[in-house]
Amino acid sequence: MRGFGLTVAVAAMAVASLWIASAQTTEGPFTEAQATAGRAAYAANCAGCHQANLAGAGEQPALAGASFMASWGKRSVKEFYDDIRSTMPYGRAGSLDAATYQNITAFIMTANGAHAGAKPFDGGAGVKVSAIANGQIPADIAKPAPRAAAAPRAPGMKLGQTLVGNIKNYKPVSDAMLVHPDPNDWLIYRGNYQAFSHSGLKQINEKNVGQLQLKWSWAMNEGGQNATGPTIHDGIMFLANTSNTVQALDAKTGELLWENRLGPVATRAYSALRSLAVYEDKVYINATDAKLYALDARTGKVVWKTEIADSTKGFNETGGVIVAHGKVVVGLTLCRGQMPHCFISAYDARTGARVWKFQTIADKGEPGGDTWKDVPNDMRAGGETWIAGTYDPDLNITYWGVAQSKPWMQASRRSGNAATLYANTTLALDVDTGKLKWYYSHAPGETFDLDEVFERVLIDHGSQKTVMTIGKAGILWKLDRVTGKFLDAKQTVFQNVYSGMDMKTGQLTFRPDVLAQRTNTWISACPSAAGGHDWPPTSYDKANDLMIIPLDQSCNMMLGHDVAQHTGVVQPEGEERVFFMPGTDGNMGRLAAYRTADMKPVWSFQQRSPFLTGVLSTDGNVAFVGDYDRVFRAIQTTTGKTLWTVRLPTTVQGNPVSFAVDGKQYIAITTGLGGGSPFSKPSSMLGEVHNPDHGHAVYVFALPDQAN
Amino acid sequence: MAGMMRWPVLLAVLAASPVWAQTYASRLTAVAYDGAMRANVQGDGRATATLDGKTLTVTGTFADLPSPATSASLYSGTGIGIPGPAILELKLNGQTDGSLSGSFALNAKQLAALKLGHVYVQINSQKAPDGNLWGWLLPDHPFAGANVPVEGHGFLPQLDVPGNWTQK
Repeated sequence: MRGFGLTVAVAAMAVASLWIASAQTTEGPFTEAQATAGRAAYAANCAGCHQANLAGAGEQPALAGASFMASWGKRSVKEFYDDIRSTMPYGRAGSLDAATYQNITAFIMTANGAHAGAKPFDGGAGVKVSAIANGQIPADIAKPAPRAAAAPRAPGMKLGQTLVGNIKNYKPVSDAMLVHPDPNDWLIYRGNYQAFSHSGLKQINEKNVGQLQLKWSWAMNEGGQNATGPTIHDGIMFLANTSNTVQALDAKTGELLWENRLGPVATRAYSALRSLAVYEDKVYINATDAKLYALDARTGKVVWKTEIADSTKGFNETGGVIVAHGKVVVGLTLCRGQMPHCFISAYDARTGARVWKFQTIADKGEPGGDTWKDVPNDMRAGGETWIAGTYDPDLNITYWGVAQSKPWMQASRRSGNAATLYANTTLALDVDTGKLKWYYSHAPGETFDLDEVFERVLIDHGSQKTVMTIGKAGILWKLDRVTGKFLDAKQTVFQNVYSGMDMKTGQLTFRPDVLAQRTNTWISACPSAAGGHDWPPTSYDKANDLMIIPLDQSCNMMLGHDVAQHTGVVQPEGEERVFFMPGTDGNMGRLAAYRTADMKPVWSFQQRSPFLTGVLSTDGNVAFVGDYDRVFRAIQTTTGKTLWTVRLPTTVQGNPVSFAVDGKQYIAITTGLGGGSPFSKPSSMLGEVHNPDHGHAVYVFALPDQAN
Repeated sequence: MAGMMRWPVLLAVLAASPVWAQTYASRLTAVAYDGAMRANVQGDGRATATLDGKTLTVTGTFADLPSPATSASLYSGTGIGIPGPAILELKLNGQTDGSLSGSFALNAKQLAALKLGHVYVQINSQKAPDGNLWGWLLPDHPFAGANVPVEGHGFLPQLDVPGNWTQK
C-alpha cells in the first residue's frame, strides 16, 4: 500500500515531469536573506494549513510544484504577494507586516525553484513567476511532511489530562434516552437522532426572550477552526475545543470539572470538532488526527482509543460522531487519493473494536465502480463524510451525506458527467452491519465544490417517512427514507449551475457550458463554494412544520487545472474568484423558513453578513442564529421577526443549543474563527466587517432570575 | 424532460408572456476577483434601466474606484451571473466617481436576454481593464431592509430556470 511519503515523492516527480525545466534565466527579485527569513515565517504562519512541504491540504492549495505553477506561473510575483497579503493568514488576513509577507513570498518562490538575486523584494516586482521559477521543489522542502510543526496559537500548551474530574452520581446515557432525549439535556449533535436542532423547552419564549442576559462565558482554545456545539447531560456541559481538547463544565456556573488535552495541537484550518457524543458513562470524540477516543464522563480519563485512519497519510476528522445501537459511527475527511479511500466506520461503544466499514468511493469492479468513467482507482478521490449522520431507531438505519469527488471540476477529474459514486449521495446504512440499504445520487458529476454532505433530517408526515437535506447548491431535497425514492425539491437561493430538474426523479441537468467545460477556462457558478447552504445546520420545528435554513449568497468563477494521473495525491486543483450574487444587493446572508409538507417558502430575510451558526428552534416559538458580524439573535419562529440581539466579541460560529438545570432554561452558543468557505468568503468580500482574530468562547444566556 | 427548454421555445414563451418588469436595477459591485486583484476592483455603484417598448434607457452612478474608469458597457452572457461579451456601449462621465448612461433600441435577442436577466452593466478602469464593477440588470424590486422578514422567498431571480422547483 502506497504510503503518504511515497506519494509526495511521486507527486514531486510528476511535478518535474510536467514542467519542462526551462531553466529560469532570471534571478529572483528577492535576496537570500529574505528567502531564509521567509522559511521561518512560513513555518510559523502558513505551514499549519499548507503543510511544511507546501503540498497543501483540503481547501488550502499547494504552494509549490505543478499546481502552484499552473495557478501562478503566468502571473507576477507582485500579484502573488498582493494575494497573500490580502487573504492570509487564514482568519487573520493582513495581520503580518509587509516585510514578513515579502519574505514569505521570497521563500515560496525558492520552493518553486527560483534563485535569489541581489535586489530585495519590496512588493513591486512585476516579473512573471514562470520567468524565475519552474516548479521544481528543492529536496529539503519536498521531503515528506511530518505532522505540521507550526507553533500553536496557544503557546506552551501542555497536552494530556490537566484536570481529572470526580463527577458524582453521573447518570449513564441509555439507548432509550438517546431515542427520546430529555429536553433538559442536549445529548446529540443536533438535538436528536433526527437532527431537528429543536428544544422542547419553552420557558424562554417570544414574549420574554428580549430579557435574555449573559449568565456565564468560558474562553476556549485559540487556533484552528472553532465551529462546535456543546453537549449537555444532567447539568454537565461537555465541550470540544480546538486542539482536540475536551472539557466538562458545570452547565449552570461554567466551572471546569475536568479537561483532557488529547492533541494534536490545532495548526490548520481543518481542526474543527463539530460535536462530540455521550453514551452510557463515556464521552466520544473523533480527534483531528483520525483517532476515536472514549473518555470516562466522570473523570475525563481515556478509556480507549482507536485509529480510524492513518493520519500520517493526511486523513483528518472534523464532523463529529453519532452513537446508535451501541455503536459509534464516524466519517472521515481529507481523502485526497491516498489509500484507503474514504469510508464511514462503526466501533463498539464499549471496546472501540471496529464493527464495520463502508467505503464511499467505489472502485472498479465494485458496485458503483463503473460510474467514474476511466479514472483509475488511485485517482478516485474525495467522498468525504464530514458531517455526522442521523439515525432512525425504528428502521435501524443511519443516514449520511457524502461530499464531492475530487478534483472538483469534471474537466480536471476526467470523469465527464459520470456520477462518481458515492460522491454527492445520501447513503442509508444498516447501523449494525454497515450494509447499504439504498443510496440516492443528488448531483451526479458535480463540478463546483457544491457537495451534498450536510445533515439528513428525518421528518414524518403522517405515515410517510422522509429524509430531507439541503446541499451547497441550495436545493432542499425530500426523499422517502425507507426506499430512497425522490419526492420533491425546492430551490432556496439563486443558482445558475443547473438548467432544470426532472420533478419525477430529481435528476438535475447541468447548464450546457458546464457540460462542455475545459481545463484552464473560467466558468461561472452560483452559489459559490461557500454554498447556498453549508455546514451550519438547519432546524426543524415540528409543531409548525417549519424548517429554518441558514443560507449564503455568493458566486464564483472557477477554473480547473490539468491534473496528472497516477500521482496518488489529488487536490481540488483549481482556482476561484468570488463575486456577490446577482439580485441580492450585496447581502450575503439569508435565513428562510420552509413548510416541509409541501415545500412552501413561508418567510425569509436577508442581511449583509452570512450566518455562521446552525439554527436552534424551541417550543417557545423562538429560534436562534448567529452571524459573521458577531450578532447572535432570537427570532420569532413563525414570522422571522427579530426579537432580541446581542453583539459578541467575535464571529458567532457553531451550533446553538438549549438545556435546563434546576428548572431554568439556558441558551448556549460559541464564537469562533475558521469555518472554511463560509468564513473565508465574507472575510474577503465584506471589507467593512472587522472581527478580532481571536475570541473562541462559549456564551450561556438565560432569563433574569425573577423573570416570568 | 420537465425543466429542459431550448432557446426557440424560450423566446416563444417570452413573447407570449404576461407583463414583464419594465424597470430593472442592479447594485454594481466588484467583478469576480481573487486576493491579487482585490485592491484594483473596489468601489460601488447602482444602475437602473427602464424599458419602454424596445427602448432601454440606462442610468447609473459609481464611486470609489481605485483608478479612473475607462469605459462602461452593457454585456450579455448565457445566464444570470455568467459573463459574456459587450453588446452596447454606455456613456461614461467621471473618473473614480461618476455616472453612466445610454439609450438603446434593443433587437429581439437583446430584449430576450434582458428579460431573462442575462444583461449586465460593467465598468472598466485603468487598473482593472477587464472589469472593475459589474451588476446584473434584474427586475427592480423593493428591499424590505436588513433582517426584515418577507413572505415567501422574497426576491429570487430564477428567471431562466423553469420548473416548479423554483416557484413560490
